[in-house]
Parts: sequence; structure tokens; C-alpha cells
Amino acid sequence: MATGISRRSLLKAGATAVGAAAVGATALAGCGKSAATSSEPLQFWNFYTPNPLRTPTSIAQGGWFDTYIADWNKKNKQQVQAVFIPNYTNTNKLQTAFAAGSGPDIFLISPGDFLRYLNGGVLMDLTPFMTKEAIADYLPGALDTRMADGKVYALPMEQEPLAIYYSEKVFEQAHLSEADLPKTWEDLLELAKKLQTPSRYGMVFEPVQGYYQNFTWYPWMWQGGGDAVGPNGQSVFDSKAAIQALQLFQDGVNRGVSPRTPVAAGDLPAGLDKGQAAMWQSGIWNVSDFRLRLPKTKYGIFRLPTPPGGRYATIAGGWAFCANKNGRNPEAAAKFCVEAVGSMSPDSVKRVADWCTVAKSDISPRKSALDLGTARGGYSSPVMKKFKDDIYPGTRGEPRYPPVIYKAISDAIQNTMLAGHKAADEAEIAAASIDAYLKSYEGAKIL
Amino acid sequence: MTTSVAPHVSRTKTVATQGKPGLSRKQREGWAAALFLAPDVIGLTVFVGIPMILSFVLSLFQVSGFGQYDFVGFGNYQRIFADPVFMSSLRTTLIYVFVLVPGGFVVSLLLALLVKQKLPGVGFFRTAYFLPFSISIVVVALIWRFMLDEQVGVVNQFLGWFGIPPQAWLGNPNLALGTAIAVTIWVQMGYYMVILLGGLQDIPLEYYEAARIDGASAWSNFRHITWPLLKPTSFFVLLTSTVAALTGAFDMIYVLTKGGPANSTNVLIFYIYQQAFQYGEYGYAAAIGTFLVVIMLICSTAIFLTTRGGRFSYGD
Repeated sequence: MATGISRRSLLKAGATAVGAAAVGATALAGCGKSAATSSEPLQFWNFYTPNPLRTPTSIAQGGWFDTYIADWNKKNKQQVQAVFIPNYTNTNKLQTAFAAGSGPDIFLISPGDFLRYLNGGVLMDLTPFMTKEAIADYLPGALDTRMADGKVYALPMEQEPLAIYYSEKVFEQAHLSEADLPKTWEDLLELAKKLQTPSRYGMVFEPVQGYYQNFTWYPWMWQGGGDAVGPNGQSVFDSKAAIQALQLFQDGVNRGVSPRTPVAAGDLPAGLDKGQAAMWQSGIWNVSDFRLRLPKTKYGIFRLPTPPGGRYATIAGGWAFCANKNGRNPEAAAKFCVEAVGSMSPDSVKRVADWCTVAKSDISPRKSALDLGTARGGYSSPVMKKFKDDIYPGTRGEPRYPPVIYKAISDAIQNTMLAGHKAADEAEIAAASIDAYLKSYEGAKIL
Repeated sequence: MTTSVAPHVSRTKTVATQGKPGLSRKQREGWAAALFLAPDVIGLTVFVGIPMILSFVLSLFQVSGFGQYDFVGFGNYQRIFADPVFMSSLRTTLIYVFVLVPGGFVVSLLLALLVKQKLPGVGFFRTAYFLPFSISIVVVALIWRFMLDEQVGVVNQFLGWFGIPPQAWLGNPNLALGTAIAVTIWVQMGYYMVILLGGLQDIPLEYYEAARIDGASAWSNFRHITWPLLKPTSFFVLLTSTVAALTGAFDMIYVLTKGGPANSTNVLIFYIYQQAFQYGEYGYAAAIGTFLVVIMLICSTAIFLTTRGGRFSYGD
């Protein structure tokens, strides 16, 4: 039976056993204790500002953060300082910092990471700093994966549903119109075959193993009614829906219409612009990328097609503000997060609308900000209107699966898509792995 | 009185400069050896020995990544053998080592034999072959990633001239590991070439002259002179390249493939990184790390035994 001990105890025991190691171990333990006081600025780790790369996108998005931080610092004694973390999602610097006991006071978190930090006991409960009106202002489902036991632990700043982008130029060359847009998976693959050339992929499904690939794959599974974890906390991954979704990615590669490696280094606007891909599954954030970087490129979007007998579904990810419960001034950090994107103050509502329609292109997670953004014309362009009115309805939030579940699903996707394994076999292996994990899982509900 | 003191002082000075009374020459040499070794021993103890012990201690715990440690005994070690990805990773590591080490050795030896010749411009070629080793692995891997790109990479464009269809060198599980090995050999061959060249140049020319007089062929020269006399250098190259293959593959794999596709390049050192820094499983990662150390010990011992510790007589 496992015996819980603290990190300090472990280091102490190690020090006794190893002798000289005590010096190093104590020093390590000391790193975990912040010597800072609340008079020092709170550290806000993010991947937007101060960004050394001065691209149109980074200037627009980093500027949004800069404006808010400057405004907060003007009005509050407790100052906040932005810390730019390059390659935030891949470097694991955040996790390493928490493991060393020196996590930042405020940080951005994705749904995929949420449960780990919540179960790790480092997320500050933001509910006491919010009004009931503000909580009720969130659109249905927008807060679900950031809550536990009725408490809010992170505040989403955006919702990013997935659709399929296509190159209008390629469609025109192939004498295709909107009426030819695929409605079913088979239509999608057939159309991809038509648009395929030796230098152009017909349909890009994400090929690189990682959280993002899983994120893009989940809606295909949901469309057939499948899921990874059932309502009673058991694995239901070995379902027909999961198997056919795995098969879809494999069919794309086997028919030669989907790539095995990233197209245009994963840069969708560049890939469509250069004619390296005809269709590409990706999120709403590309709209602002096109607007800021390649405004002359002609592209369109359409809903994810469905399997026979399936029901339309897509997924919405998005980053959220959260505060470190063990930070220097958790209350001030929580207030900073709430005022940023979770308050009913006109500034906060405007800020969310600005982020989702000016600095970036997203669906607002809050009704008030969505209405404001709509009133200001933020969703009036054909693409944004389609995202808001056609693609977003039917959206489910990104699941908050712990790493073991993520990895089991990820291996199943990779092994079917790229190694040619049988989808049914891989679904069964993943289901067994998930079940084994769920038997000993303790923590907040897996959604 | 003054005349009686002076000789005494003088005698004391002489003793002091000769060392402590009572220490034999052997003991004094022992002290000197200890003092010379001390910096290395202290450095290895602090930066290698103690972290290894702490890592082993860590492998006995389940670690949350947020300061909570649960003692699980050898639970992490039991988990290793029930983990299909670990077993696949172990298999990948063994293939990686058993292809990379001999392959790299043969290529480096051929290059060393080539650049040992007194040919015009040989200095340029020595430099050119060594150059990849002087570049950061990350930069090398990035450049190769671009060159191996399926759609716009120069490698596929070159092969296209011969009618060979484009290949997903880093996206096909059947090709990715071989590609990573080839790129690694390309990086390392210059370094091992220089070491082997040093070994080749240590072989007395008289042996080759005698063989030439006896009418020996080039192959006989290599078989009966070069190869036996190069064994100590070969031993060093094989040992260091084996350890480098087991522990030094991380940056190349991280940049080239991130362990993919479908875990086909997920060598143990990369799997340890994934477990620790992507999934927060520090205890499990430490257990795999300990396991890797055991593998290294076995490999090193096997090389020591088969080569008798690198001590070779000319008759071997």
C-alpha cells in the first residue's frame, strides 16, 4: 500500500542516506520556496508577451495582454509582470517549474493539462471572486471542463472550434463550387482524391503525435456516438465509433490523400497559399492568421462531414487564465484572472470581445462578449459568420484526459494511421490500457 | 651558542623540503595520486554519483509532479515490464544501438583509411568530414528535417531524377528509424574518423614495408597488420559510441521525429523524457533510467570481456 510523504520528507530521507547529498537536496528544497513577497510583481507566464518576434500576429495578440497588464498595474498595488515562455505547449517548462516548487503565480492552461494541475492541488478556486451573473454569462459547455464540484478553477478566454479549410483557388481550378462540399466521410476522401496532385495533398489530417493530434481526432469519434470514458467512469473506447474514426485517418493515408508528415511545417495559411494542400482540418484561429499575414489568399471553410448515421459534432479548445494557489499572492492573482476575462465589468466584457474578434479570431466563451463582438461586426465576415452560426453549434469542449488516457488514444491513432495496424485491435488495446488506469484513478471527474 | 643552533635549523629545513618524516616513497606517491584524482572524484560524486543514487531513490516513489511522493517500493519496476510502449521502446533502442554502432564504426574506419592516404587536398577532406560534428545537433537535425521533407525536400527531388517516388522519410515507421540512424552516422563519422586516424598513424610503418617486401596484398595488410594493431582504438570507439547511442540520442530524435511516427523512433532515452516531462511520471521515468544504466553496464561489460578490457597484444 502506498504511503504518502511530502517532498521535504523524501529529501530529508535521501539526505540521511546519502550524506553529502543533503547539501544538494536541501538546496533543491529551498528552490521550491519563493523568497519573494507580495510587494514583488506576480509572474504571469504566457506565450504572447513580451514576444521577441515582431510579427503582425504577435503584435496584435501581445498588445492585448500588454494593454490589460498596464491597466491592472495602474489600478492595483499588487503589480503583475508578463513572462514570455517560448514554445509554451511543447517545452514543459511550466510543469517542470511546478515540479520544482516554483510555479508562476498566474498562467495560461489548456483543457488537456487542466486535470493534472487541478489534481495536483495548485489551482486557485476562482469562484469566490466571481459574481453569479458572470458565471451564468458563460455559454453552455464553455466552463464545464474548467470546473470541479461546482467551483471554477480556470477562466477560458476563447473557444476555438474545428472545421475544414479549403483553397478556393484549387476548387475553382477543379471546377468545383460550394455545392460540391462533402457531407460524408466518404465524400471527403473522394473529393480529396480528385484534388490530389504529386505536389499537393487532398486532405490534411494532423499526422504528428501529440495532444493536438488527439484534439483534432476526437470529433470524428464523437460523430459516431463514441467516447473514451463512459458515464460510469469505465472505458468505452473499443466502440464502433472509435474504430471507424481511427479507420478514417488510416484511409486518408492509405489512399495517399493525407500526409504522414506536417505539410508546410504545419502552417495552414502558408500551405493553402502555396498550393501544398487542398483541404485541411483546423481551427478558427487561422482566420486571423489569414487576415494578418495572407489577406489576399482565397479560402473557404465547411463543417466536418459525418459518417453514415452519424451526428455532426466538432470540438472547441482554447486557453484559460488560472492562478497558482501556492503562489506569492493567490488572491490578487485570482482577481487578476477574473478581471481579465471573467467579470461583468464593461472593461472585462469588452476585453473578451476584443480578444475574440480583434486580436484573434475566436468564438467568445461568454454571451455578453459574443453579443458585443457581433454588434461591432466581429462575426460579419462570411467565414466568421459561418463559424459562429453553422460550425460552432454542436461543439463540445476539449476533453480533460489525464496523460495515461491521452497516450493510450494517441498510440491507437498513430498505430492505425501511420503503421497500418488494424483499427479494431488498436481500439481494444487502448481500451484495456484506459480501463487499467481508471481502476486506480483518484481525482476530479474525467470529462 | 649561535654556532650550535645554525646546523639544527638547517637540518630542519632539509627535512621539511623532503616530505613528512615516516612516509615511504610509495605512500607519498599514493597521496600525490589521491590529490590529483580528487577533483575528478569529487566532481563525479557530486554531479553523477549522488544524482544516480537520488534517481534510484526516486524510482521507488510515485511522484505527482506537485510535491507529493508516495512510496511504491519496486512498483515502478513491475510496471516497466507490463508497459507495451516500454517494450517497443526497448526493442527500438536495441535496433538503434546494434545498427548505429557497427555502421558508424565501419563508415568511420573507411573514412580514416581514406584520409590516411597522402593525397593532394586530403586536409580539406579531413576537415569536411569532421565539420558536421562541430555543428549543434539541433541545427543538424533541423537542416536534415528540411532536406528530408516529403513535398519540398531536396532528397526526394534528387531521387525524383532517377524516377524514385517521394518517400516520407520521417513519417513512415518503416523508414524513420533508419533515417535517424543514417543522419546520426553522418554527424558522428568525422569524430570517430579522427580517433581512428590517430590509431592508424600510431602503427609503425616498418610493418607495412616488411609486408610490401613479402608481396602482401592490401587486404592482407589490413587483416594482419592494421586490424590487430588498431584494436585498442577500436575498443575505445566502440565503447564510447555504444554509450553515446544509448544516452545521447535524445536531441537528434527530439528534433527529427519526436519519437514518432507510431513510436517507431521512441528510444528509451526519449521515452524517459516523455514520462518525466510530458506526463509528469517522474518516479516511473527514474525507474526506466535505472534500467537503462543496467543495460549500459551489461553492454560495457560485454565489450570489456570480449576485448579483454582493450589490452591487446600484437599476437591477437
